[in-house]
Amino acid sequence: MHIIFDKAELRFGERVALHPLSLQLSEPRIGVIGLNGSGKTSFARLVNGLVKPTSGRVTLDGMDTVADAKAVLAATGFIFQNPANQIILPLIRDDIAMGPKARGLKGKALDEAVEAVMDRFAIAELAERRPHELSGGQLQLAALAAVVVTEPKLILFDEPTNQLDLKNRALVRRAIDGLEQQAIVISHDLDLVSGFGRVLVFHEGRLAFDGDGAEAIARYRETAAC
Amino acid sequence: MLTSLYVEGTSFLHRMSVRAKLAGLMIIGLALFLVANPVALGFALLVTATLYLRLGLGVGEAFRRLRPVLITIAFFGLVNVVVLSPHEALTSTLRLLAILFLAASVTATTTIADFIDTITALLVPLERLGLMKAADGGLAFGLVLRFVPDIALRYAVLKEAHAARGLTLKPQTILGPLIISTLKEADSIAEAIDARGIRGQ
Amino acid sequence: MITRDLVLSALFTAIIIVLGLIPPVTLGFIPVPITAQSMGVMLAGTIIGARRGALAYVLLVVLVAVGLPVLSGGRGGLNVLMGPTGGYIIGWILGSFATGYLSERLVRDGQSALLQAAGFFAASVAGGIIVVYAIGMPWVSLMTGTPFSKVIFGSLAFIPGDLLKAAIAILAARAVMVGYPLLPQRA
Repeated sequence: MHIIFDKAELRFGERVALHPLSLQLSEPRIGVIGLNGSGKTSFARLVNGLVKPTSGRVTLDGMDTVADAKAVLAATGFIFQNPANQIILPLIRDDIAMGPKARGLKGKALDEAVEAVMDRFAIAELAERRPHELSGGQLQLAALAAVVVTEPKLILFDEPTNQLDLKNRALVRRAIDGLEQQAIVISHDLDLVSGFGRVLVFHEGRLAFDGDGAEAIARYRETAAC
Repeated sequence: MLTSLYVEGTSFLHRMSVRAKLAGLMIIGLALFLVANPVALGFALLVTATLYLRLGLGVGEAFRRLRPVLITIAFFGLVNVVVLSPHEALTSTLRLLAILFLAASVTATTTIADFIDTITALLVPLERLGLMKAADGGLAFGLVLRFVPDIALRYAVLKEAHAARGLTLKPQTILGPLIISTLKEADSIAEAIDARGIRGQ
Repeated sequence: MITRDLVLSALFTAIIIVLGLIPPVTLGFIPVPITAQSMGVMLAGTIIGARRGALAYVLLVVLVAVGLPVLSGGRGGLNVLMGPTGGYIIGWILGSFATGYLSERLVRDGQSALLQAAGFFAASVAGGIIVVYAIGMPWVSLMTGTPFSKVIFGSLAFIPGDLLKAAIAILAARAVMVGYPLLPQRA
């Protein structure tokens, strides 16, 4: 999708989470890095309209995140930091089915869509399991399956590997690499975004750098050191 | 952890619709209050107890399930012998037992999924009135069942933390942390539900 | 009702269920062990307020009705609701609403700790004890035929324990008010 930030700003009362930002994005893989509280998360939530800009506007392929909020949400998926909290039904299969069900899919078509997405992420054997029995990596894959099954055009990841060990990080990284969808990945896990064509560095609520992965990481290390 | 009280089977109660069972329970329950003849109530009890015991639960499990309520009924039976009369105590006890076995039979022959479907269907008129979304009911039950094991785990962790610090477990020291740490998850859970468009777009 | 309110109610229902799994404890001078679950009505009202608290209890009562053993001691099913003490369970819904309604009006941020505690205590006693018994006792009398006056007399035995529960509920409510205030933002 073609994402346009037009002087979009986010404030909570006096506190500025993101200073007015203007930029355009259309790359298939976009990384977002920065310190805690630098504005990364605000940026991601502005993209899919989970938060509304205090001033300015954000559009995705021309759809405004405020005026066309429903269409924007339908076209995007969001993977949160704590995968346990985005799985909201007791059985993994039911949870994955919930999104497409809310969009009107039912019966055989629904079952097939759920099976297909579980096969795709190699989690078919988790269908009848309960979330508290799964590892962090399995949970994150289940959460990703639940998003991909609704066929969004763009998927946002908010620190998807934050709470995972090395093995599970690798698992999630491979899953992200294999997506045909456009992806915006916020991460402290620099390896995850180092190969991306475009990486944004946020610092104190402003865009501090915008360029390719290697350069962005070098810049981030500089700003973080001082 | 939370296993349903449903029992597999093919009895006519298993095959009856949930609505018919609930309506029948209500009507029979109320009708029994109009009956004061101990012989008739004894007959009703015989019928419902037979119904319940023939569902395939096994006598031990069948009584274990009802133990708390049976104790309560026995207690009030004894009280009534003293404060009313043995005759009145007998009629009220027989009536309560008859209702108890009938209610337990409905519970044992209805799956949770069937119950939830029926409740969701019954909520549709409320949705038409704009009071709520019927689908929210199913979502809310799902959320409760989803998060019970997580909260139980959180309780175990708090218990361990108490033990590690040599503190005895008291409700006053554990309730606050347990409730705060659980409710703090509400924001991210709600955000995920909204982002996934689950409450209908 | 926004999604967050729905989630808060559902999480509270789950908390109440977990409190029923914890073994009962003996408190102070009360001889009968009490379950943490029986404080739920007061906790729900004082912590998440009237509407969300009542919804948490609607969810719990429906889970009991559909046959899940969610009450302490593994109780559940229609037989519990249709038994002599079913009125108390129905009373929990209105009791948590009343506790929440009064808490929302009596307790505010910035009051002294003592004033907040007094507000929570008054709300817990009114909602968690008076309202619950006002529905539970006539039900008992109706179902068992035991005269109402005797039921009232018998219920007095539970009052000291209930007052102690209200005192504990205050501590928890205050802890949440300080640590993660939810009550001021009404549903």
